[in-house]
Amino acid sequence: MITLLKNARVIDPAHHKDGVLEDIYIRDGRIIAKPAETEKIDQAHELNGKIVMAGAIDMHSHIGGGKVNIARMLLPEYQDMRRMQEPEAHICGANCSHHATPNTTDTGMRYIEMGYTAAFEPAILAVNARQAHMEMGDTPMIDKGGYAMLGNDDYLLRLLSQNADQKTINDYVAWTLHATQTIGIKVVNPGGISAFKFNERRQDLDQQHSHYHITPRRILQALSRAVNDLGIAKPLHVHCNNLGVAGNFQTTLDTMGASDGLPMHLTHIQFHSYGTEGDKKFSSAAANIAEAINQNKHITADVGQILFGQTVTASGDNMMQHLNAKVANPKKSVIMDIECDAGCGVVPFKYRDENYVNALQWAIGLEVFLSVDDPWRVFLTTDHPNGAPFTTYPHLIRLLMDKSFRNDAFDKLNLDAQAMSNLKALDREYTLYEIATMTRSAPAKLIGLQDRGHLGVGAAADITVYTDQPDKEAMFSKPDLVFKDGELVVKEGKVIKVVWGATHTAKPAFDLGVEKDIKQYFDRYHTMQMQHFKISNDHIAEDGRNHVINHVQGA
Amino acid sequence: MVNTEQTMHACPACGLLCDDISADTIAKQQFSCGKAAKFYARSTSLNVQPQVNGQAVSLAQAVKAAAELLQQAQSPLIAGSSTDVHGARALVSLANQNGADMTHLNADSTLRNMKVLQHRGWQTTTLTEVRNRADVILMIGTDVVTHNARFFERVVWVDEAMFTEPSARQIIYLGGDKLKTQAGVSPDGRAPQMIACASEHLPEVVSALRALIMNKPVAGENIAGVPVSTLAALAETLKAAKYATLVWVSKDLHFEHAELTIENITETVVALNQKSRAMGLSLGGSDGDTSVNYAHTWLNGVIIDAPHWQDHDAVVWVNSFSPEAMPPAEVSPVIVLGAADSKFTTPPAVFIPVATPGLDTGGQQFRVDGSVTLPLTAAKPSDVPTLSKVVALIEQAIANEGKQA
Repeated sequence: MITLLKNARVIDPAHHKDGVLEDIYIRDGRIIAKPAETEKIDQAHELNGKIVMAGAIDMHSHIGGGKVNIARMLLPEYQDMRRMQEPEAHICGANCSHHATPNTTDTGMRYIEMGYTAAFEPAILAVNARQAHMEMGDTPMIDKGGYAMLGNDDYLLRLLSQNADQKTINDYVAWTLHATQTIGIKVVNPGGISAFKFNERRQDLDQQHSHYHITPRRILQALSRAVNDLGIAKPLHVHCNNLGVAGNFQTTLDTMGASDGLPMHLTHIQFHSYGTEGDKKFSSAAANIAEAINQNKHITADVGQILFGQTVTASGDNMMQHLNAKVANPKKSVIMDIECDAGCGVVPFKYRDENYVNALQWAIGLEVFLSVDDPWRVFLTTDHPNGAPFTTYPHLIRLLMDKSFRNDAFDKLNLDAQAMSNLKALDREYTLYEIATMTRSAPAKLIGLQDRGHLGVGAAADITVYTDQPDKEAMFSKPDLVFKDGELVVKEGKVIKVVWGATHTAKPAFDLGVEKDIKQYFDRYHTMQMQHFKISNDHIAEDGRNHVINHVQGA
Repeated sequence: MVNTEQTMHACPACGLLCDDISADTIAKQQFSCGKAAKFYARSTSLNVQPQVNGQAVSLAQAVKAAAELLQQAQSPLIAGSSTDVHGARALVSLANQNGADMTHLNADSTLRNMKVLQHRGWQTTTLTEVRNRADVILMIGTDVVTHNARFFERVVWVDEAMFTEPSARQIIYLGGDKLKTQAGVSPDGRAPQMIACASEHLPEVVSALRALIMNKPVAGENIAGVPVSTLAALAETLKAAKYATLVWVSKDLHFEHAELTIENITETVVALNQKSRAMGLSLGGSDGDTSVNYAHTWLNGVIIDAPHWQDHDAVVWVNSFSPEAMPPAEVSPVIVLGAADSKFTTPPAVFIPVATPGLDTGGQQFRVDGSVTLPLTAAKPSDVPTLSKVVALIEQAIANEGKQA
């Protein structure tokens, strides 16, 4: 069966196409070259020059796993009842979640309705990976994947403190990717989550861990080297030390140097771009951070924009979340130490434009977006749900594309915060091509999804069709059509067919000999068998909806 | 990756999910835990036929009868829910299709904890952290071993720990009724500390402990018979610990408003964590209670409900891990999607035997500490259909009926 999208105005940065009028042909879920005249076109959509982009890819969104589910449990007040319409009603109960804590059905439905066809859970605790995959498996419509957290697990910290060679570390990293069915490696507050368990309250980049006597810098070196040596496409995903602390921009700048020039991705960098200037000793260091990103070509970053309203922050960084719990709103939180592997902290937040710090956080995120030159190296995220729910993306896109809209919003901010931001001096307005870059081509390239995020022949037919309109929030809220793997699944912003997507993984080759020591570690110190830690393809596919798509690494 | 090691089974008989059960152990019935012994002694491949009103029928007839009862019901309830994650998914789906509420055998104890979580949150830890870090373990109103027989064997008195000397751990029991404290004796014969008080007095005693931790004055010399000086010494012990672990079992705190006492335990942990390190640990668990509540939460956005039996005119009952359990006698009609070895005093309207995860079939189950999920493997594989399969058949029958109507 062949589907034709006729007269598409294609924006496909991977192929340098910016509004080229073309026809797109789809067969068996893939984009194909124009077929022979004799072949039958089964379904044709006359697009009359509507904007066509690949399906968007969210490279950092907390969509599944322990902390997300704790957030749901913690916050019954975020839930309300709604009458669902088919086909959503078919798979979802009457509860509709606040978009900060969507249930799994809601997550998939709301993403696809905005033209997103994949989302990546960025903080999978290795020991909790099975749960994360179960939740992602119950998330319809979109593709999924995750980054496994290392760098606070006692196994790696022991290796580093014993001066293990890089090969052993590489093998352990590869083993972890296999065992957890993930596509990348994340480090959260390197060494800090572990240090908190030893009653430390801060962990600086060059401060020795109180028990292991190694520094976070060493952890970053070892992990970025391992990712590089193994040929894993996705650069090490780094949540820096000192999240949220005034003055932390210096840690962030220093972290950029910690990988000795190897690729690193600094995540939700807005939360790590704070200075200490002004009466309130809290200021924007966005200019310093953006300049450093511009200069350091091995660094990529996503922003983690905050937007005003009620949300909940869910992080592996229990050290810093333990401090943040004091300003929880509503006043409750969950802090956990987990399995000598990692931790988590779930703290509800309400960001308010009248609050000096919140207002400046909002401005700092936008300053970073507008000051980083290369849209291939800065990614559109709110760190869902930490800065704001992912459902705010169309609003965020308008803030980036529409200067007068942005400045009107700025004028409503806390006045002291306005005085501390140069946002109004930034005239840049993102183009559709740049938005397509940062939400499609760049994340696919970053994660190593060769057949996603673009519209070339052979690509998976994850395609979004928009009507161009002056109000970009309206445009990106409600695509005309969305295709998932070639099937029309959204029409006029509404789901018309339920599909389930797949889970993307990376499984680099490694020396299985490493397992001997890992097994010994499990037997000596753990409360589960190593064999039960490992997740099989069959477990991902259980209940018949999901399947694994592995991406060959080092290609 | 291929698992080359000998397969070990994870035992779903309690929330601890001990995953060191070998085929040999099962064959020889050499268990250090009575619950595991009972679980693996079950015979479920009995060729038990489905039944309608006590009469043997075919699976298709039983499915049809179940579908009809559900269609006739105005307000069905899915209860028992003793199953694993896959079973929970199926039950949530059935609930959605039929507008049913969903609860669990352990709803009372689960919701007691959930009230605390939803009111204030908490600060908790998991078994491997406790195994490697805990130097002081305070058990409040519980001996744990009544619920999790191998807790001390697998987590406390272990050969090695990374950050503490296991045999030197300080074990303290605070309150509780008829506790079995032998497990708290260290391998070298050191007796645990006992601070006796009846469970019903725990609210006052725990709240005094919290006050002392927070450096608030506590009036009087005794709280419900416990000397304040004893509690003050306990507070100092907890503050001085490298990793104090405060353990409770929700099922053992079954007095009125016990959630307030649990909250005092968790807020004591919060207070300790201002200066030192401590964590809470909620133990117990059975019948897949954690799995069902968690899966219900991610699928629906909300936790399970308490049962309101009088509000429902049909009940779907699932008892995979507790074949003897049945809903209150006055509830009817009851559709049992249950263990082949279910025990009935009066036959339910419909009975369809389903596979028990971890015995007849595989599955996935949450451990009681919530962060760890383990695969369940079929220790005695049988061809009894899974709960998911039977639910899918019932849903299909209802959908077909709906189309004809």
